[in-house]
Amino acid sequence: MLEHLLFGNLTLEAIPLHSPIIVGAGLFMVLVALAVVVLITIYGQWSYIWNEWITSVDHKKIGIMYLILSGVMLLRGFSDAILMRSQQAIAAGNNLGYLPPEHYDQIFSAHGVIMIFFVAMPMMFALLNIAVPLQIGARDVAYPYLNSLSFWLTFVGAMLCNASLVIGDFAKTGWLAYPPLAELYYSPGVGVDYFIWSLQIAGVGTLLAGINFIATIIKMRCKGMTLMRMPIFVWSALCAMILVALAFPVLTVTLALLFLDRMFGMHFFTDFAGGNIMMYINLIWVWGHPEVYILILPAFGVFSEVVATFSQKVLFGYVTMVWAIAIITFLSFVVWLHHFFTMGAGADVNAFFGVATMIIAIPTGVKVFNWLFTMYQGRIILATPMLWVTAFFTTFAIGGMTGVMMAVPPVDFQVHNSLFLVAHFHNVIIGGVLFGYFAGIIYWFPKAFGFRLDETWGKWAFAFWVLGFYVAFMPLYVLGLNGFMRRVNHYSDTMYQPYFIVAAIGAGLILIGIFLQIGQLIVSIKNRHALRDRTGDPWHGRTLEWSVSSPAPLYNFAVLPTVDSRDPFWAYKETHLAEGHVHPKDLHFQPIHLPKNTAAGFIIAMFAGITGFALIWHMWIPGVIGFLGVILTLIAKTFSTDTDYYLDAETVRRTELAHLKEAI
Amino acid sequence: MIARMRMLKSVTRWLLLLMCGFTMLCLAGCSGHVVGLLNPKGIIAHEERKLFFDTLALMLIVVLPVIVMSFTFVYHYQVSHRVKEYKPNWGHSLFLESLWWGIPCVIIVILAVLTWKKTYELDPFKKITGTDQAPMLIQVIALPWKWLFIYPQQDIATINYLMIPVGRQVEYRITTDNVPMSAFFIPQLGSQIYTMAGMRSRLHLLANQPGDYEGMNTQYNGAGFSDMHFMVHVVEPDKLQQWFTQMKKSPNRLTDAAYHKLLNPAIGVKPQFFSGVTTGLFESVIATYMNSLGTVHPRNNEGQFYLRQMNKE
Repeated sequence: MLEHLLFGNLTLEAIPLHSPIIVGAGLFMVLVALAVVVLITIYGQWSYIWNEWITSVDHKKIGIMYLILSGVMLLRGFSDAILMRSQQAIAAGNNLGYLPPEHYDQIFSAHGVIMIFFVAMPMMFALLNIAVPLQIGARDVAYPYLNSLSFWLTFVGAMLCNASLVIGDFAKTGWLAYPPLAELYYSPGVGVDYFIWSLQIAGVGTLLAGINFIATIIKMRCKGMTLMRMPIFVWSALCAMILVALAFPVLTVTLALLFLDRMFGMHFFTDFAGGNIMMYINLIWVWGHPEVYILILPAFGVFSEVVATFSQKVLFGYVTMVWAIAIITFLSFVVWLHHFFTMGAGADVNAFFGVATMIIAIPTGVKVFNWLFTMYQGRIILATPMLWVTAFFTTFAIGGMTGVMMAVPPVDFQVHNSLFLVAHFHNVIIGGVLFGYFAGIIYWFPKAFGFRLDETWGKWAFAFWVLGFYVAFMPLYVLGLNGFMRRVNHYSDTMYQPYFIVAAIGAGLILIGIFLQIGQLIVSIKNRHALRDRTGDPWHGRTLEWSVSSPAPLYNFAVLPTVDSRDPFWAYKETHLAEGHVHPKDLHFQPIHLPKNTAAGFIIAMFAGITGFALIWHMWIPGVIGFLGVILTLIAKTFSTDTDYYLDAETVRRTELAHLKEAI
Repeated sequence: MIARMRMLKSVTRWLLLLMCGFTMLCLAGCSGHVVGLLNPKGIIAHEERKLFFDTLALMLIVVLPVIVMSFTFVYHYQVSHRVKEYKPNWGHSLFLESLWWGIPCVIIVILAVLTWKKTYELDPFKKITGTDQAPMLIQVIALPWKWLFIYPQQDIATINYLMIPVGRQVEYRITTDNVPMSAFFIPQLGSQIYTMAGMRSRLHLLANQPGDYEGMNTQYNGAGFSDMHFMVHVVEPDKLQQWFTQMKKSPNRLTDAAYHKLLNPAIGVKPQFFSGVTTGLFESVIATYMNSLGTVHPRNNEGQFYLRQMNKE
């Protein structure tokens, strides 16, 4: 009895010792984790890690931690992609490949979940954390402790998802776990529970982060920065975060209902006893469609910043840009049904949602033309961020085009669920979202780390990524038109095989691209002194973040700026270049009010992780402990009054002087 | 700068080469046998292919200029090219911005009208107009990784094997039993449609060329998904009649017991044939789910879906 209360359904058999691939991957993960722990211990860095990172509430550090998380998870998600591509390249005719369905089905489910939730989302929050407060002239986000909590909840969600690799298994349902397949009758294992709880915990983190950034952007802008003077990246972040605040509660509720079905035998989404499976599919896409715009809008923001900076020209059509973002934000909530035209809803419903979907193409097209005319008569510097933007135009144009084609319901009746669809959304998510984030990471890297990334390695990585992308995904369009479906484990018609081999080669090229990016990082760290950004303005930037040192000081701005235009730093440089910099000796510094570090976010997230893991395995005692831990830590934290301090003026003065000395 | 230009050129060259290679691969594919949307054998599929290319053409009006402009602008206005015109503060033009709000609007309006019309015309639930003949009825039940086809008027049934007449529309009524949501699709004949337990989907298709085509499930529904295919034989009506007569001689009957056997999960099932089907089987399967009130899955007695699946493995 006690044993069951403690361990629930968890036994040693949950560790899949019979599968060499899983054991290998699990061992590798454990070894890497152990190596990190050992290294930290050897170098005696535990207090540094704890004080400077884990308990940090500084938005710049949290941004860096998001970036590391997304990078690590990208490797995991991409190994899934390599496994799938190689399986499909092999499994033709009588050959069943090397991955049986029970394993393969977990891989494509995990691939989708990881890439969206634990790669794209953290990467977006990394960029938001690094850039938004600096761009609006603020000292931090509105709620620094909440920010730390958001990150750690996302982290715990990702770790739960990783744990499923070694302990038990992951969902075999596809990345959205459609019922009735995800219901207890068809999926009795723990896979779907892992899916529910890793998304539930990470989702709450995302929701909190969304609220945090809305408050930050609405309330923390510096003097003179009216809404229509905000950089477009901030606009895109604001709209994306509004979408987060509206859409993520839907995800939370939907997953909670699915959990109730599975845990307590309820019938929200079962295929019998009055359950309604289409209700789930509607709800999950009411979240899921805005989700793709949550991802792409900040990428649009990055493109706007990068294009203007590297064309050395003001962004074209600022006002229409803002309107376009706003319209996309609104429309993203009225198109969800285009994900299941084949449900059989009837022509009225399908036609409405088809047309609504197409309308999104208009503001999106407007944005593209604005970017193009930002480059027109500019002076384009083809640094790596700009290269990614250049590649984006074509990939996104193709992806957008196929998207509109699938918005026509009768066309969708042919290509729905096929590899044409898979090619389309990779076309926009890699060619749009990821390219944009890569551009943003290279662009803001000096601001976060103090040195630029190596350009030569970056260009090679770019070349392999773009080439690999086309080689990997264009064959999928052809396959889709040939009636080849997604999530297929093996096929008897060998005619398809050449296309899959080409696609696998493409994935290999992308893999080289990823290795080159890792190489770029290593080389850049090695040469960090040569690549050091002394001025804080490596790209001749236009917005406030470039007016401070790189990396930005703890307090961001020694004196909070006042702005009177859309490109305040550009304007400042134009008027003040002749006069020279204002010398900090002449400035009057004041003590700066800053938040103190806190471990509460980390502790709450860890307890949440225990609760999640316990609910997956029906371990009641740990579940109660975890839940109480979350609640008690939350309450205890509210009683703490030791939350902030003043950085004395002398330290600020010394920091600013040091920066100036280096800059000159 | 020179290095950069060379870089860009080499990238462009690679891309061109790639596109050529890709086109060749496509053509090679076409010269082989094309089985999907691009090679329609039914009225609905023909219409859908036409719509596909119409949409493509409309979209290319905007997409092609964007791609061309992106490369031209990036190439032309590089710092190293020392282009004279440089307007760092030119950020607004009412004319230009109206242009790129306006033109996409016009295209989308055209596309929307087309979409609206075609969505009604090609609604899978709707009878195909223009033929006088009453549709032939086939009832389809998605079972754990196989398809059951019932010809109620002929009182015969098959597993993973469909024979239909050329030139006459067929109405498929579709549901599932003991398998998660699936989707019924014969790419070369036309639309796909979801099938769910306790629900009846309808799909109207008309094949206009005899031949053997592949049909499949397109909605992932568990371990046996990849093998949930069936062959569709489109034949002349008299040949179909011959087949019916021949089928009627078969002693194999789809009794309740035989049906319950089919509820067991199985992967890659060979075609099976039955003459004589329990009356109202299709309707009773739907009713089983619609009327289920208990907390136990209506097919729980047939053995747990998953456990059986595990035993198989």
